[in-house]
Amino acid sequence: MLFGPLACWAVEGIHIRSADFVPVENGYALEANFDIGLTTTLEDALVRGLTLVFTTEFELFYPRWWTFNVWDKTVTERRIEHRLSYNALTRQYRLSSGALHQSFDTVNAALAVLGRVRINPAVRSKDLEDDKVYTAVLRLHLDKARLPKPLQVDALASHDWDLSSDWYRWTFRP
Amino acid sequence: MKGTIHVVRHSLLSRGMKYLIVLILLLGAGMLYLLSTASANTTLFATDVRLLLALGLLIVLGLMAVVGYQLLALRRRLRARLFGSKLTLRLVLLFALVAVLPGALVYAVSVQFLSKSIESWFDVRVDKALEGGLSLARTGLDNLLRDLTRKAESMAVTLSDVPRPQTLQALDRLREQAAVQEATVFATDGTVVAFSGNEQAGLMPMSLPAAAVRQVLLQQPYRSVDQGPADALLLRVVVPLNPAEGQTRALQLVQAVAPSLARDMSTVQTMYQDYQEISLARGGLKRLYGLSLTLALLLALLSALVLAILFSERLTAPLVLLAAGTRAIAQGDFSLRHPVRSHDELGVLTESFNTMTRQLADARAAALRNHEELEAANAYLQTVLAKLSAGVLAFDAEHRLRSANPSASEILHVELDALIGIPIDEWSARQPDIAEVAQGLQDAILRGESQPWEKQLELSGSGKVLLMRGSGLQGGVDGGFVVVFDDITRLLQAQRYAAWGEVARRLAHEIKNPLTPIQLSAERLEHRLVDKLDGQDAQVLVRSTQTIVKQVAQLKGMVDAFSQYARTPETRLQPLDLNQVVREVLALYEAQRLGISVDLQEDLQWINGDPARMRQVIHNLLQNAEQATTDRDSRWITVCTKQADKMAMLRVSDNGPGFPPDILARAFEPYVTTKAKGTGLGLAIVKKIVEEHHGSIEIANLPGGGAQVTVWLPVFGPNGGAVVADNAKSVEL
Repeated sequence: MLFGPLACWAVEGIHIRSADFVPVENGYALEANFDIGLTTTLEDALVRGLTLVFTTEFELFYPRWWTFNVWDKTVTERRIEHRLSYNALTRQYRLSSGALHQSFDTVNAALAVLGRVRINPAVRSKDLEDDKVYTAVLRLHLDKARLPKPLQVDALASHDWDLSSDWYRWTFRP
Repeated sequence: MKGTIHVVRHSLLSRGMKYLIVLILLLGAGMLYLLSTASANTTLFATDVRLLLALGLLIVLGLMAVVGYQLLALRRRLRARLFGSKLTLRLVLLFALVAVLPGALVYAVSVQFLSKSIESWFDVRVDKALEGGLSLARTGLDNLLRDLTRKAESMAVTLSDVPRPQTLQALDRLREQAAVQEATVFATDGTVVAFSGNEQAGLMPMSLPAAAVRQVLLQQPYRSVDQGPADALLLRVVVPLNPAEGQTRALQLVQAVAPSLARDMSTVQTMYQDYQEISLARGGLKRLYGLSLTLALLLALLSALVLAILFSERLTAPLVLLAAGTRAIAQGDFSLRHPVRSHDELGVLTESFNTMTRQLADARAAALRNHEELEAANAYLQTVLAKLSAGVLAFDAEHRLRSANPSASEILHVELDALIGIPIDEWSARQPDIAEVAQGLQDAILRGESQPWEKQLELSGSGKVLLMRGSGLQGGVDGGFVVVFDDITRLLQAQRYAAWGEVARRLAHEIKNPLTPIQLSAERLEHRLVDKLDGQDAQVLVRSTQTIVKQVAQLKGMVDAFSQYARTPETRLQPLDLNQVVREVLALYEAQRLGISVDLQEDLQWINGDPARMRQVIHNLLQNAEQATTDRDSRWITVCTKQADKMAMLRVSDNGPGFPPDILARAFEPYVTTKAKGTGLGLAIVKKIVEEHHGSIEIANLPGGGAQVTVWLPVFGPNGGAVVADNAKSVEL
């Protein structure tokens, strides 16, 4: 599967490169790759001590066309937060998710790690039925609501603070 | 009242609207609180400021809609010129002004102050100090790292000469000498070759970062500062360890920065970053505060407007009610009472208005009652006047007729209503029939207008006699006078009859008594003396006594007639065939060969009469006719009966000289006679009897000479008889 432009150069925004399920022991793991490029505004804000919160949202559901997809059956729903911050003292970028954290010397290294999404297991086999076709959606975006409020006001007026991949949809047959 | 109720009910604000406004205001207050706490990151429930702003905007728009609606409603009311709307508008403008001016002032000052104060936070010196602090901390760390690197490099040199089995002991010793927290020798694949740590180190060595391995393979040292738990800082240095034999290894030294130093460094770093963050957010902060202030201002202004309209309406509502009440009173409705809701001046005003309304209502009820009583009295008076047999005429001060009762018209045989408003002196021109009356009235008035006067007026035309009494109405509003008059013709006649009856009775009584002795004396004289006297004297005597007797007899007859007139027997009415009576009477006259022609209607209805009295009527009439025609050569007398509607007519005509004109009017009065020997009672008696039968009599002269007497008598009938009998009684009474 091929997705979007390849990240050979610094890009702004978040673009999905690949996303697929990989069978694992008791179900399927989701492996996805995003190209993430911060805008200069965001990079500046990061260096000046702002913590950026990225959220990965994933949902697998069984579409019910007879309800006009209003009441689709959600099989699984995951929401993972990553916090990216910069330590001015150690001059390191720090990516943390829950209690885990990693430090990086460059922002790109941190973003590369952030762009590699692996959710294991994403779906359990027992939740799936073999003969059905499921739809999966995935997106990674900067959570603007977690910005300090004054910056939210700025974000209202400017696109510099918008950082989000489009929703990526694909079908999945177990 | 149709126009007033809806004014009272119509309100700018329904109850629902009021609740809506209260809800919006509460929401606005809550939103403002949240916004005001937004800059400090102590979020209450929402982190998303966009939601807050959108909510605020929504509330402002809602309030604007409410205000707009209210203003539109107010404009409608102004257009409709509803009472109180102008006052409401004025109050709204006043309230709005009172709210807007201070609000705008505070807003302007706040915005100015805000931007100034926010700017004042960001001082170049503080900036520099913080940056200096940070770089100091960095330099300090760098120095520590360099120091640690030197130690590591010297340890690496030392260790590279140590044979492999002694590595651990050497490492231990070297670590002790260098006073390092943790020293580990790694193979390049990351496996631990030897590890030594003091009491602060963990049981397991810290793992080797991949970047360090790359550096080591490049024969470069690797340095990093790791953040430990809390504010702890760990310095890590990895240097290549090149043993004399074998593969390159990596030596990692880990040393914790002294806690107090680490804490200070951390503090500096945190402060720096906080400051940077705030300076980054400075524009946004200003904008946020500005927005909050603007929203607050808008909310305050709009709420002030809403409340202004609300209060204006509350203030004007009692006035509107009072206006409605005033209008109702103007239209005559006193039933409206307004509930007194407040205890202020308006309440007092409403209270007094209610009192006034009640008093007005009472006064009007009283006036109405008086009016009704007056009208009833008036109507009663009118009825009395209408039923009054006497004629009543009322004149104003200019002698114009103001009113006349029906009896007046009846007596005068003139429609007096047509003369209302016309002065007396013009009456003759309009109604020649009452010229005499008008003249008489005028004379009487001229003689003594204000004094009560009385006058008897005899009308030449109808022979009626009117008794008039007049008196001025000085007590009245506009003067004038009233004239009461009565037709006293009958009364006068009756008086005359009564007087004559009395005379007749007395005469009969006084004259009759001596007559018999006179007669007897004369007869005795004759009886005694006739034999004693010789022939001629005897003849004189006889003749004289005979004359006396004869004259006495005649006198007796006359006296009888008088007494008969004076003391007529009671009439007994019964069904009677008039024709039969006529025939009976005529039978008496057959012997005299008077040449009476008879024309009787065969199917004449029976009358209601007294046979004896009727006989006398016919008898008297025939006698009159006979006497009137005595001197005539070819004399004729006609008696005829005829049916005329509900009356039976009896007519006796003759070809005598007829009634002299002076007699004609008074022919029925007693002692009015044309005959030398008549008592003058014949027609009087006839008239009396006819009237007792409720009939009427009329005399006339025939064109070719001769007299004609016509009598109408009511027929006997199932209804007529009874009715007439009733009338008879009432007449007799």
